Amino acid sequence: MKKNLVLAAMAAALLSGTLMTSPASAFERTDNGEIIVFAGRQAIPVLDPHVRYDWSTRMIQQAVYDALVKYEGDPAEIKPWLAESWETSEDGKTWTFKLVENAKFHNGDPVNAEAVRYSFERGLKLNKGVAWMLKDFLAPEGITVVDDYTVQFELKAPYAPFLSFMPWWFIVNPEQVKANEVDGDYGEKWLTENAAGSGPFKLGRWEPNVLYEIEAVADYWKGWPQGENRPAGVIYRIIREPSAQRASLQRGEVDIVEGLTSDDYVQIANTPGIEIQNHKGMTTFGIKFNTQQGPTADINLRKAIAYALDYDALIQIYNGAASLQTSPLPDAMRGHIDVPDIPRQDMAKAKEYLAKSQYPDGGITLPYVHVAGLEEARRIGLVLLENLKELNINVEITPEQWPNMVANGSRVETSPAMTSVYVTPISTDPDAVAYQYHKNSWGQYYAMAFYDNPEVAGMIDKARASTDWDERADLYAKIQTQIVADQPEVFGMLQNRRWAHRDYLEGFKFSPVRFTGEVDLYPLWIDAE
Amino acid sequence: MLSFTLRKLATLVGTMLGIAALTFLITNVAPGDPARLVAGPNATEDMVETIRVANGLDKPLPEQFIIYMSGLLRGDLGTSIVTTRPVIDELLRYAPATIELVLVAMALGIFVGVPLGMLSAVYRNSWFDHLTRIFSISGVALPAFWFGILLQLFFAVQMGWLPVSGRLPLVARPPEPITHLLLVDALLRGQFSLFWTALSHIILPAVVLSFPCLASILRVNRAEMVEVLQSDHVVAARAHGLSSRRIVALYALKNAMLPTLAMIGLRFGWMLGSTVLVETVFDWPGIGLYAVSSALSSDFKPVIGVTLLIGFFFIIANTIVDLAYAWIDPRLRNA
Repeated sequence: MKKNLVLAAMAAALLSGTLMTSPASAFERTDNGEIIVFAGRQAIPVLDPHVRYDWSTRMIQQAVYDALVKYEGDPAEIKPWLAESWETSEDGKTWTFKLVENAKFHNGDPVNAEAVRYSFERGLKLNKGVAWMLKDFLAPEGITVVDDYTVQFELKAPYAPFLSFMPWWFIVNPEQVKANEVDGDYGEKWLTENAAGSGPFKLGRWEPNVLYEIEAVADYWKGWPQGENRPAGVIYRIIREPSAQRASLQRGEVDIVEGLTSDDYVQIANTPGIEIQNHKGMTTFGIKFNTQQGPTADINLRKAIAYALDYDALIQIYNGAASLQTSPLPDAMRGHIDVPDIPRQDMAKAKEYLAKSQYPDGGITLPYVHVAGLEEARRIGLVLLENLKELNINVEITPEQWPNMVANGSRVETSPAMTSVYVTPISTDPDAVAYQYHKNSWGQYYAMAFYDNPEVAGMIDKARASTDWDERADLYAKIQTQIVADQPEVFGMLQNRRWAHRDYLEGFKFSPVRFTGEVDLYPLWIDAE
Repeated sequence: MLSFTLRKLATLVGTMLGIAALTFLITNVAPGDPARLVAGPNATEDMVETIRVANGLDKPLPEQFIIYMSGLLRGDLGTSIVTTRPVIDELLRYAPATIELVLVAMALGIFVGVPLGMLSAVYRNSWFDHLTRIFSISGVALPAFWFGILLQLFFAVQMGWLPVSGRLPLVARPPEPITHLLLVDALLRGQFSLFWTALSHIILPAVVLSFPCLASILRVNRAEMVEVLQSDHVVAARAHGLSSRRIVALYALKNAMLPTLAMIGLRFGWMLGSTVLVETVFDWPGIGLYAVSSALSSDFKPVIGVTLLIGFFFIIANTIVDLAYAWIDPRLRNA
């Protein structure tokens, strides 16, 4: 009897494997239309637009909320959104935004000047997430409601990049947020997994760590660029392993994925029915030197290393989906110039600089720290190891968990001689990158070099306060040239942003200012034919 | 029996407090500033400080420890710094998926491992025995994540028989929760097609999770069976003319089950730990995945919470094994 039971169980287990095969569905269909399925590696623990932002969070924030303006296109441009127009005073301190009058929140409330004022006040007072962008220049009292559809910002000092940050300040519905306030928390608890926005989508199912569903708002105030073809919604599904993402895409369980490996993208490109989006992004890869302490405080040694590196190998590691940096500023950023004489591999020069350094014969060992698990960063370390052998410099490749890397990089004493760092700027304003080389940024992961040049810092301060673009452009050209001359890091490459999707997915619009995996979900649609 | 239960309960509480203290210390000595990570890459020092204060991370470590442990005694596991939700709520959210996965994997391990072990002992040194030996050695040796990806590629991508990952298809709505175990709830609600779908999702992760366990159950059971089959009472039973089937299934198996049971108890706790890998590969939304994502963002309280939960189940499983021992072997009842 017992044995029969066991056999039955075994048979059932085997049978279930063969019988319950659901055919691969291309995309999900519901009664309301097609649902686009996006697979990404990163969860969304907190949706509150004023508390958290990273690529996956911001992708959904951008879908359910609107901001005064929005980045669109490549090169990225700031387009009117909730604000139909804006003007700035001559001294660059007063910004006045005129709002569209037909925008409404998902519950029907109008999006008016008070909602804008409240949202900025909330962001500044919570002092989290996006607050750093404006807090030094804008106080909550500096925001005034001029009339129902006009709002004014009075800055403490002129701040040229002000507008470039506006796309990341989303407007929440004050009525809904206040109704869900607990102990004066500005609705923070509630907005963690709920939304009070006016965007093209509203929240559907919210299953943390599994999937996040958004449903299209049929009568979205700004209309739909794809008209009747708009999808019924989007499911953002968490698939952490690149191999599982690839398998899901091939099987048609998902329509678009963001996190494949470099090799995967090359291999999958030839699969019928799958298309690759491959675009030049703004994420820079650099090897930051500790410029304050240890051997790399010596500029000649830094130059020697920069000239020894095989830059072409960086591109090869990404299977060609990358381009070399020609300046500290990424190409898509305003004011970018190609800095002349940015180091490329030249062993003669490398040896020349080494001879001038305190280590003319090499004979030192330098750590190269990279984030554990980032295969490309590790392989770049191997290239460096090989190249520096010729200078008799030994490289110790050290993988490190991200939290530890950030912790070590926050102090001069613990910051390693060489750390590989990817940095994604938040806006297209050159200040977003230039300020990383300001002494005020010390302690942040992107300032691990502890670069200190008072002349450069002075120019950065001047440029961010100027309202004259020509003057700013001039200053940024000088800043870029001087930073390259000081070599606080090896300026590496710009890694392309890539997605793989089924060929029936239409409307994909790239913009370099978005974060790594982030996609604008608004214009997407499915060509079901 | 009462003193047995009380003894077990005291051990449980003591062990749990020990686990909590140890995990707290280990997670807190690890470098990395969770507040800075949560605040985001561009946050200013005062923004980081806001988060630090809100989460009590500004206090000295001994004080944090006392606050945490006294909270624990009241049943408060603290709040996740990343999701800003109480850890207990999150554990309740994620634990059912893990429990379901482990139970199915355990069932696979027992119902496949025990009979295979028994058969290979009966047909010792036959081709069948050699085959199961290869099977069991690979089961213990294969790394779970690699095996998982391999199965995904073959059964999901190549053959298209089973889904790649997840617990349910995207548009399927889970049944109204009763036990929060999808398979059970689907059956109780009479949603049979949903039951089959959920079953098809659980097969691959359960197989991967159960494989090492199945293999060790098989090996232990085989070894014991071989010994028991040579013992005097089996010889006596054979001499009495009892059927071979009866001897093996009734007399030998029961005697060989003691070490197997111990192995099952051990493997249960081990399986809960292994969910960390298996759930990541199959995006199974359980506590293993929760622990991984929390650890990666230096979110310590969920890590301690998950460790406690695994410890709790580990102890419970071993208690059940102890009881089963007593049931199978009367000599142990009064020991």
